[in-house]
Amino acid sequence: MADSAAEARIDQALVARALLGDDRRAFEQLVRRHQGMVRAQLCRLLHGDAAAADDLAQETFLLAWRKLDQFRSEARFSTWLHRIAYACFLQACRTKSWAARHAQDDGMEHLPAPARAMDLQLDLARAMRHLSTAEQAVLLHCVQLGMSHDEAAYVLAMPLGTVKTHATRGKAKLKTWLAAWHGAANEERVP
Amino acid sequence: MNTIHDDNIDALLRQSFDGPVPDAGFSERVMQQLPPRRRPSTWPLAAGVVVGAVLCLLSLHTSPLWRAGWHGWLVGEWSSSTIITLSMMAGMSLLALGWTLAEADDH
Repeated sequence: MADSAAEARIDQALVARALLGDDRRAFEQLVRRHQGMVRAQLCRLLHGDAAAADDLAQETFLLAWRKLDQFRSEARFSTWLHRIAYACFLQACRTKSWAARHAQDDGMEHLPAPARAMDLQLDLARAMRHLSTAEQAVLLHCVQLGMSHDEAAYVLAMPLGTVKTHATRGKAKLKTWLAAWHGAANEERVP
Repeated sequence: MNTIHDDNIDALLRQSFDGPVPDAGFSERVMQQLPPRRRPSTWPLAAGVVVGAVLCLLSLHTSPLWRAGWHGWLVGEWSSSTIITLSMMAGMSLLALGWTLAEADDH
């Protein structure tokens, strides 16, 4: 918590330097500090399309540079960046339809029984793709990127209650689809 | 009962997340694309202030309240016109001060 507050203060100082002195090196520091998570966020949203994620991440940082004077300290700088990145992703989806390209139509009533531990990760990735776009986005931001529900609501421009509902529903679906793994794990434990 | 807890799902999701992507020249590419920042021009604000002040003076010039207040202030007489005029000026100044402080706080 203290680390996160210190990081936020460093970001604010860098933003102030970038704005007041038109300091490009301060903005470069901000890019270096946050590019990793922004690209990871976009890569996940685009189902692993790293090239497209990099294009959108670049667009995100160029937008952040242009709109830096609109940054208010009501959210952390990293959260503000993730919000811009998500808006860029939605815009790209409207024009390029990644969602349609990655859509799969195989059934997901229950995934097959486990073979190896590695398969669990593959099944989880497959199950994630069968969640609704909103559920995927909420689980990505709340669980994998470690945001609070409030921060996720800010990034995704959703009401807080909707974020909580999507998180609960998404996890419930994953539990149902991955139930075979739990049963098999129990059987392995029984002599 | 074959149930998976939320904590298990959370742990699985976190395990499947690879974490931050290594830079690999990305930041340099972004910095090369960065356009020069456009400075917001200040002339519209200055022009607005001047036009507003001139219009205010023109509209108040013929007002008997303003004339009486101004006259009273010059001769050091605290008439009701003088007090009303000065109170209005003080109120406007306080509003402008509050607005400026609020804007400065946002930045």
